[in-house]
Amino acid sequence: MSDPRRLAAVRAKVSALETGGRPDCGRLGLGAPAVDAALGGGLPLGRWHEIGGEGMEAETSAAPAAFTALLAAPLARRGWAVWVLRRDDLWAPGLEGLGFPPERLIQVCARDEAEALGVMEDALSAAGVAAVVGEVEAVGLTAGRRLQLACEKRGATGFVIRRRPFGGPSLPKGAPREAPGSAAATRWRVASAPSEPPAGEFGLGAPRFAVALERCRGGRPGAWLFEAKSAFSQSGETWNGTHPLRLVADLGDRQLAPAPSVRRVA
Amino acid sequence: MGEGNRGGVEGAAAASPPPFALIETVGGTRRLAAVSLEAARLRLYPGQKATDAFARVPDLVTAEAEPQADAAALAELAGWCVRFSPAVALDPPDGLFLDVEGVAHLWGGEAQMLADFRARLARDGLPFRLAIADTPGAAWALAHFGADGTIAPPNGQAALLAPLPPAALRLEAETAAQIERLGLRRLAELAALPRAPLARRFGAQTLTRLDQALGRAAEALTFRRPPTPWFARLAFAEPISAPQDMARVAVDVAARLCAQLEAKDQGARRFQLCYHRLDGKVLSLNVGLSLAGRDPLRLGKLFAPKIEALDPGFGIEVVTLTADQVEATAARQARLEADPQTNDDGLAPLVDRLANRLGEARLWRAEAVESHLPELAAARGHPLTKGPLAGAPGWSPQTPRPVRLFRRPEPVEGVIALTPDDPPSQFCWRGQVHRVRRAEGPERIAEEWWKTDIDAVSVGHVRDYYRVEDQDGGRFWLFRAGLYAPEQPAKWWLHGVFG
Repeated sequence: MSDPRRLAAVRAKVSALETGGRPDCGRLGLGAPAVDAALGGGLPLGRWHEIGGEGMEAETSAAPAAFTALLAAPLARRGWAVWVLRRDDLWAPGLEGLGFPPERLIQVCARDEAEALGVMEDALSAAGVAAVVGEVEAVGLTAGRRLQLACEKRGATGFVIRRRPFGGPSLPKGAPREAPGSAAATRWRVASAPSEPPAGEFGLGAPRFAVALERCRGGRPGAWLFEAKSAFSQSGETWNGTHPLRLVADLGDRQLAPAPSVRRVA
Repeated sequence: MGEGNRGGVEGAAAASPPPFALIETVGGTRRLAAVSLEAARLRLYPGQKATDAFARVPDLVTAEAEPQADAAALAELAGWCVRFSPAVALDPPDGLFLDVEGVAHLWGGEAQMLADFRARLARDGLPFRLAIADTPGAAWALAHFGADGTIAPPNGQAALLAPLPPAALRLEAETAAQIERLGLRRLAELAALPRAPLARRFGAQTLTRLDQALGRAAEALTFRRPPTPWFARLAFAEPISAPQDMARVAVDVAARLCAQLEAKDQGARRFQLCYHRLDGKVLSLNVGLSLAGRDPLRLGKLFAPKIEALDPGFGIEVVTLTADQVEATAARQARLEADPQTNDDGLAPLVDRLANRLGEARLWRAEAVESHLPELAAARGHPLTKGPLAGAPGWSPQTPRPVRLFRRPEPVEGVIALTPDDPPSQFCWRGQVHRVRRAEGPERIAEEWWKTDIDAVSVGHVRDYYRVEDQDGGRFWLFRAGLYAPEQPAKWWLHGVFG
């Protein structure tokens, strides 16, 4: 009854449907089997990924930027990386500490949202560029589709950090909070999590991130606690090929981040 | 040297029109500034009082002279002449010098070039006189006083200049008149005189001009733009105007120039493309490259987005391309895109595109600077310069530094710090209270006293940095400004966020 060959053929057909007939540009293992399984075998390359924060982080966007730098660090060692900013506050020494090579990063400051997306598209389709990070407020359907096409040209991977401009209005009234039917391959929500220094030591431990995979094509969502074990402790040259992120715990069904408590200034 | 003498005021030369003159006001007197051929035949002359002229020729038609408009028109004509030679010098009020050395062969010789020049000028309805000679002085003299279209053979200008009057030497009107009054009506007679008495009698200027005309003294002309050997032009049988055609000819003319560059193993970093319109206007575009290159397709791609903004008018008939900042690129392959894996310069096309679109200041790569002050530790470097030399100080990956550093530290309020030297246990930033769970520090960063005047150094510039983590896991980089003083409250700032 169940012919294994027919089953395999159907599976291939389904996966082709799931990827939309796009070429597979490989995947980037995050070093944790549970996470890789949820992503369907690792972070898909040649796609673009959406990373956002909550509350204050939607504006400062420090945890999403740090997480993105950690996520893209292995890519930046393969080729060039381009970071498209709206506001020049990305600091290279911090990236160095996280293990992201700033000497392979080109920073571009765009004047407005449309220009940022245009530069991202241009950089994604350029030769020699492995990863492009862009800080934009929202990616519309058309812009997302264009980013996807640019990614497919040479297999570069895009990361969109959703960030509200400083001082600007949060979102125009009536605009949907999330872009409907976004073309992103995955959507992550990242927040800083309290660190745990090794027993008997003072100060802060390695940076931790509470990460929720909210959406994933060909995978399933999940929530995890990651730790950048080697941050601020290794020298730039000694990189042993493993992904810099470590899985600390499976958050499971736990409330990911405590709802941003609204407190008044005392 | 070519000399196009543009008599902008002797304009309307139709079949026996009325005598015409331009009038200017000189020192409260209305005088003729220029006269037409018909007026000149009636013995009117520039500088004559307008009332005298009207008394002699009652039906004289006059108009106000516009020297500024004439100068602007001459400058525009100079721009148009770039199609013949990249080196064009203005000779106000009505002349142009073109350095045509090494250019004439593009037309098949000086005579053909002059004929083409004549045909194009005549089409625009401008009266003119042309001459080619070894020196600017000789060309000027032949254009103004010799036969129109004279081409002096190399080193043969002396014979052609001999019969011309002394005024052909570009002298002051009084000096020329004085020389003629003494009976020296030909340059040959002037040249035959002993030099020392000549200079004493008529001034050193006369001697200089004579030497310049005969090629015995050099003359510096102020060319509108420096002549460059890296110049290519393309003329079309039919004018073009479609944007895709303009983009295509940009690649074609770039291919010509790049072939020249390649033959000499050179590359250039700046290119200027000029489209010459039928009506004489010149539309120019500039692009810059981050690395000297000579790939016509890449240049075409950089020019293409700018072409759309141009207005071709009735059409483009000539396109020229000049290269600037030419340097040797012997060891580099021409097609930079060929193999990105083996060549780090594969990024150059992208960097060029972005730099030309956004401006060079908006594109950078962080460079380590040897400074303890966080805001100075990272500088903007050119994206494609090679990394720091081996052994140069970089940033230490061991010292924790935030991913986001604010350009200006933000003030923090409501800081509760138990003892003066401890990290804060609570602070309020952007209207939100953060309770500190863990903290590291202090890391004292003092002023770089060796860089400033020793008297300006103060302990008030000392900063004690703390890395703190709040109850939600947010990690911040705070500092307290200045040393602790019991009588005044400490001032706290937030400089960055770790994430």
